[in-house]
Parts: sequence; structure tokens; C-alpha cells
Amino acid sequence: MPAPRVSAQSILDLLISEQILETDLPLEPNTDLFSQGLDSVAMMTLILQIEDRFGIALAPTEMKREAFATAGSLALFLNGKLAA
Amino acid sequence: MKTLSCDVLVVGGGSAGVAAALAAARQGAATVLIEQASQLGGMGSQALVHTFCGLYHPKVELGPQWLNPGIPTEIGEELLRLTGQAGPDLMGRYYVLRSHPAVWAALAARLVAAEPHLRCVTHAPLQQVRRETGQWQVLIHERGAPVDVQARALIDCSGDATVARLFAPELAETTAGQHLYRPAMVAVFPGVAEPLTDERRMELIAHVARAVKSGRVPAAAQAATFRSSPCSDEVFVSLDLEAGGEAWDPAREDQLQAAWATAQAAIQGLVTYLRAAHPLFQAMGECRWPDRLGIRESARWRGDYVLTGGDLISCRRFPDEVALAGWPLEMRETARGPKFRHFEHAEPAGIPLRSLQLSALPGLFFAGRCLSADHEALASVRVMGTCLATGQAAGVAAASLA
Repeated sequence: MPAPRVSAQSILDLLISEQILETDLPLEPNTDLFSQGLDSVAMMTLILQIEDRFGIALAPTEMKREAFATAGSLALFLNGKLAA
Repeated sequence: MKTLSCDVLVVGGGSAGVAAALAAARQGAATVLIEQASQLGGMGSQALVHTFCGLYHPKVELGPQWLNPGIPTEIGEELLRLTGQAGPDLMGRYYVLRSHPAVWAALAARLVAAEPHLRCVTHAPLQQVRRETGQWQVLIHERGAPVDVQARALIDCSGDATVARLFAPELAETTAGQHLYRPAMVAVFPGVAEPLTDERRMELIAHVARAVKSGRVPAAAQAATFRSSPCSDEVFVSLDLEAGGEAWDPAREDQLQAAWATAQAAIQGLVTYLRAAHPLFQAMGECRWPDRLGIRESARWRGDYVLTGGDLISCRRFPDEVALAGWPLEMRETARGPKFRHFEHAEPAGIPLRSLQLSALPGLFFAGRCLSADHEALASVRVMGTCLATGQAAGVAAASLA
């Protein structure tokens, strides 16, 4: 099976480098992103960055809260899209 | 020329001014409230700001607890009742009361009209402020006609420290353009089929992202957030604006016009796109525009004490505190979303009376967005719930001089 294109770490790096989330806590793959400030504006920036960085465009119907809950769940979701 | 004489004159009929006027009048002081616009409510009606922040205790595990007794609680309870809500929403880590601009404007008008010691003058911009034999002499233009108002005490609730600008400009502080909190435009989308759930809001984000990516709406629309009205089939659309970055100066008409034009184009683009592309919006009515841009920061007073961001973050309390702050430092120096700096503890911070007055100018008070605070502290105390509290405090203090 080919290596996943999107890692949880790359999501975390993106959240920090693009200042999507600003937090003193070290972000882990299973940190709840909503509690760290993933609000509407941050979400918008995130999905635009996902498209720029990973070439993945998300359809409105794919926007499920569970997918965005953690960097880990998001990576899983995005890799699932790539494999499909 | 028409003249009015009173114990307390309140300049500005926004959340702080309404609270100040009610508080002073209820203490028995002969009070006059002046407002330049046609209706009361300030940002909460004129700019269509539809959330009251800072009304509740920040320790959410307690459940919703009113933070400031008296007028802030009274208004909070009335807003809940009039919008048919059982309680506030939890937005992030804090309770927020969802309001409706028309409901707030009507409530403010009703409360003000009910006070026998309170006279309200709308359509009345401030022209001149003088001090003569221990009294304030203020010239206003009521629908263009000059009116002289004499008052023992004056409360600046203009939001822009307008009294300072007219009387003592050296006592007004502002912030360098690049750090000045960004303005926003809020518009109303009427006739939206169903309320926006969290899930629908996420779908909407993806829709708008696609529209921005494909160039079908202006890039500025990326900053748009959506929230359903609690009591009508309307959606409020809020758009933070870069407004020229470091050039932003809300006192400049050309800047306001430019920001307005950018905002309107972005929101109009959203309307066109959503009507065509989104089932919830396909039957929406005409977009309703605000009377004014939402201004988060302009100029403020330098009073006996300058409240600091550090004071708030450490939940500092004061022996002369007259109001409690319960909202984090919500810093919006860019249009790319707020940076929150939370208090160290889920506890309120005190706001001292010394931040509402200046001993060198007895009988002068300031409350709301233009009270004596630094740029960081303003990010917390500017919210309408806190303005109700500081307004009330200033009103009580001013009335005690009468």
C-alpha cells in the first residue's frame, strides 16, 4: 500500500505555520481542534490551505465535524479521499 | 435658541449610553441622552451587531450566570425573553447572548421612554463642548437646529471619545493604524429557509471556499461568518475587513467609504453565488445593509487609570471597581480571524472607577468603548455586555454629583 500523502503531523504543521490555531499547548495528533479555536474563520483558512497544499478540494457534503475533530481524524479522512 | 438644563448629559445612545442614561435617571438625576442617529442601540442596531458578549460569568461550568447585576442583567433577561430564547449560546469557551438588532433598538427605546427623569434627543450630533462656572455647556444640532444643553455632569459614551476630540484632544488616545482593530460589516440575509446548524455552517464554509477559489466571489468574502437570527428567518453575515491595513483610520470619511465599498461588493457577491448555488438561500430576499460599519476601535480617553490587558488577564480586582469584565481579549488586528488571549483563570476582572473619570475634569465620565484602557484591554471591554456595565457605573457616579 503506498505511503499516505497526508500525515497528522503535516496537518499540525499547517495549523501552526498558517496561524490557523494559536495555542500554548503542544498540539498532538489527537488534540481536539475545536477546543483549540477551530472556528468558522479558521476552518475556512484550513480548507483553502488543504486545497493549496495537498491538492484536495472538499465538497460541502463532505464537511463532517468528526473528520475535523483532530489532526489524526482529518489526515485519515483526506487520505481516504485520495485513495478513492 | 432652545436650551436644556439637566444634572447628567449622556453623549451617545449605544449600549453604554443607554445604560448610563437609565442608571442616572433611575437615581433621580434629571438626565438627557443625545444620539446622532435616528435610533438608539449603537453598534447593536446601527451596525447590526447581533451578539452581546460579556454578559455572563466566564466560568461556564457554573452554567450561565449573569456577571453584572442591575441594568446589564435586566437588559439581558429582556433580550432573551423578546427573542424567545431560554438562555445563551456557548460559543467557544464563553456564553454569548444572541440578539436581534431591531429587538435591541426597540427595547432600548422602550426602556428610555419609560423613565420620567430621562429625556432622549435623537438626530442630534454633538457640535461643541465648553466648560463654564462648573457646568458643562454643550451645543448639539437636533435635526439641524442648534440646542444648548447645560449639565452638571457629562458622560462620554460616544465610542470615539468625541467629547475629548471637541474639548480636550490631548486627552484622547488612539492606536497605530496597523494594530487598530479591524472594522466589520454585518448584513442581513432575509428569507433563509432553515436555521444554520453547526453542520450547515460547515457546509457553507466549503461552498464559500469553492466560490472564492473559482473567483466567483471576491477574495474578501473568505472572512465571512454566518449566524442565524434567534427569532426570525434571517441569517446575519459578518465580514471582517482589512480596511487598508496600517492606513485604517475610522475618523476618515474616505477610509470608511472604501471599506464599505469592498465589504458591500464581497457580500453582494456572496448573495449572488448563494442564491444560485445553495438550496437554503435560493429564495432569500434582498440583502439588508447596516447604517454603519462595525467599529471595534477608534479613540479613547486617558483617565485617572489606564486599564491594561495585563490587569484583565491576571483577573485583577480593584478596591474601586464598578464593573466586571468577563470577556477575553478578542484581538482583531487582521481580517483573518480573532486572536483570543484568555484570562488566566475563569474568573472576572474588575474595572475601576478611575478608568471612567479624570480628576482634572470633575463632572466628566467616560464609558463603553472609549473608556480609559490600553489597546489590549479594549479588546475585552469594548463588547456590548461590558459596555452596559461600565455605562451603568458611569451613570450612577454622575448622578451622585447631582
